[in-house]
Amino acid sequence: MKTPLTIALVGNPNTGKSTIFNALTGLRQKIANYPGITVERKVGTAIINGVLHKVVDLPGAYSLNYKKLDERIAYEALIGSYEHEESPDLVLVVADATNLDRNLFLVTQIIDLNLPMVLVLNMMDEAEGKGISIDEKALEQNLGIPVVAISAKQKESIEQLKHVIGSITPGRSTPLKWLTDSNLKKASELVISEWIEPYTDIPERARTIEALRLISEGEFIGAFYTFAEVEKGKKVIAKARAIIEQNGGNPLATEVIQRYDFIGETTLDAAVQNSENKKTLTDRIDAFVTHKVFGPLIFTFVLLVMFQSIFSWSAPFMDFIDLVFVGAASWVANALPPGMLNDLLVEGVIAGLGGVIIFLPQIIFLFLFIYVLEGTGYMARAAFVMDGFMTKVGLHGRSVVPLMSGFACAIPGIMAARSIENWRDRIITIMVLPFMACSARLPVYALLIAAFVPSTTVLGIFTLQGVTFFGLYIFGIVMAVLAAAVMKRIFPTGKQTPFIMELPSYKMPKWSVVVQNTLDRGRVFVVEAGKVIVAISIILWFLASFPEVGSEEYETNALPTESIESYELRHSFAGRFGQIIEPAIEPLGFDWKIRIGLLTSFAAREVMVGTLSTIYSIEDDGEDISTLKEKLINDINPETGQPVFSLATALSLMVFFALAMQCMSTIAIVRRETNSWKWPVAMFTYMTVLAYLCSLITYQVVRVL
Amino acid sequence: MYPLTLTKDGERVEVQSLNCQHDDVYRLNEMGCVQGAKGTIISNQDNVILQVGETRLAIAGNLAKSIFVTSLN
Repeated sequence: MKTPLTIALVGNPNTGKSTIFNALTGLRQKIANYPGITVERKVGTAIINGVLHKVVDLPGAYSLNYKKLDERIAYEALIGSYEHEESPDLVLVVADATNLDRNLFLVTQIIDLNLPMVLVLNMMDEAEGKGISIDEKALEQNLGIPVVAISAKQKESIEQLKHVIGSITPGRSTPLKWLTDSNLKKASELVISEWIEPYTDIPERARTIEALRLISEGEFIGAFYTFAEVEKGKKVIAKARAIIEQNGGNPLATEVIQRYDFIGETTLDAAVQNSENKKTLTDRIDAFVTHKVFGPLIFTFVLLVMFQSIFSWSAPFMDFIDLVFVGAASWVANALPPGMLNDLLVEGVIAGLGGVIIFLPQIIFLFLFIYVLEGTGYMARAAFVMDGFMTKVGLHGRSVVPLMSGFACAIPGIMAARSIENWRDRIITIMVLPFMACSARLPVYALLIAAFVPSTTVLGIFTLQGVTFFGLYIFGIVMAVLAAAVMKRIFPTGKQTPFIMELPSYKMPKWSVVVQNTLDRGRVFVVEAGKVIVAISIILWFLASFPEVGSEEYETNALPTESIESYELRHSFAGRFGQIIEPAIEPLGFDWKIRIGLLTSFAAREVMVGTLSTIYSIEDDGEDISTLKEKLINDINPETGQPVFSLATALSLMVFFALAMQCMSTIAIVRRETNSWKWPVAMFTYMTVLAYLCSLITYQVVRVL
Repeated sequence: MYPLTLTKDGERVEVQSLNCQHDDVYRLNEMGCVQGAKGTIISNQDNVILQVGETRLAIAGNLAKSIFVTSLN
């Protein structure tokens, strides 16, 4: 072929589609979202025989009878009715050779679309290992389409595939070879001629598929199309179903059974399975990993190792990033003349950016783990093992990994929630995820516990401090579970999606895919969250820095012990706002200093420590927490003569931090993932209200005790 | 004929009928779990793992209850 083509890759999940896409396009690819939704669109270019072809990696699908948004895109892109995707000139259907029958189901459907196509049998090496031999020529003959057998991991295979793409003259497949049942044929022709053709704009090549879908479903549920003459359509469909029923068939199953019958005949002489019922390595591993008792234990162990590694591996990188930003800030501070621009860049933009980038190492390592676990096939087992418990609390087996990720940072967790197919389960997971005690709460907890919780020994080996610390983590989990249970009742239930998942064979992950996906996640985080954070940082900086205070005003009006920074902050917009909300916040036991800290920590939780340091006028050299700690302990309220911080204040503050939505990166990522401001606003509101109430109860109760 | 939840580990079964909601029937079908398909029970502990061909399907207990099979042993 000398003309440039638009080549679409389709196939079941776990068939190595992405590996083929990466191998064909190399680095010439672009990942974006489809407009308005969060399904990823992967497009790249491949140069074959000097011709530049466009390659589109369509979302994975088990069939064309879409149940999920991404499957719908794959389907509509293929039939050429999806406005954001041009219809392909050539379709490469990728199938797993070790699992041919199942994969051929989608293949027979695509054949029916009458598109130029090639069947790419992937994982031939694994198939051979399993004693499966496939006769490509026989398969080609039976299906009536070109077949290429490859192992995408091998370089020669990709060359072979490129050769096929470069040399074929795309012909048309022969649709409906499988459709031998005269009743079903009659029924589908009836639906097409009496309803689809006169009343809908379904593209011609998709008419049979749609007719069969309607006959099987019996009504219009789940159809994304909206048609005018629905009542007429229903009558025609009922008539069509009657044709099948009168002859003893089941309209729901007839199509599927016939397709599988055809597939059975197709592979009868084309694919031979030699060894059978041999216990494979996958069987032996699964006996433990999916075991009722060992399964959850193994999963817990995997998580422990994962989080420990994320924490300890990220630490040096985070220190390094911190150093770079501190360096950059002081360089800019010195390079530019002092003034507003200088302050804005140093305290607003650089500080804000630094606050985002510092989480990048954790995100990279977390996703590295997730993609490795996914690549080995373990992830499906983890979801399976935890499904029972998660369903009881209103979530889904697939919520487990995102929620656990939340212990490191809510942002990658929220991004990982994409693997949950049911929208409602996904939203609930996202909405409760920020209750998981993320690493940004650590500095605040550490400071307050060290200062106000006595280090008394309890139960012999634990200290009260350690128990408080652990208790805050448990508190977060309990609140997440409760919130999920409540939301399960609030949200329109829709249909429960019972857990059905394919458990792929265990294998070594494909490293290039792991690395590429991980880097993509990192890039998305920096770019998407970064944009919002920089904007909010600038606003916060403005509120905390203006109106400016002259040194004369400071000298005449400031309290005797007050530094100029402290005075400026108290009289800034943020400080004034802190005073306005005083009546609301006072019952929680917080004075004006904590209030300002709270306000600034709505940008990011760990900012609290920095703000308190500034307010307490400490030279913040290397986060010297012990001195801040002593200041906190010794701080006396000038009006009452009582210490500002009591145990009640400290506990109230920690409860507030455990529950409040104080993280604009999370807000930004929720906005991006749900594609609406509705969810982040709802999240912010309910979490903050909850935090306020719990904090209020804590303070008032502990004070009385 | 009995539900998938009453099978034993290692049992060979033939799927007889899927008595669940249409969406779930279709999801099972497209993954190869179709009327007449023969498979092996890998494990049955509340949730069921059923191997059909080379596809290993994990099926929640509440769905497994509505899948009826006959034994081939």
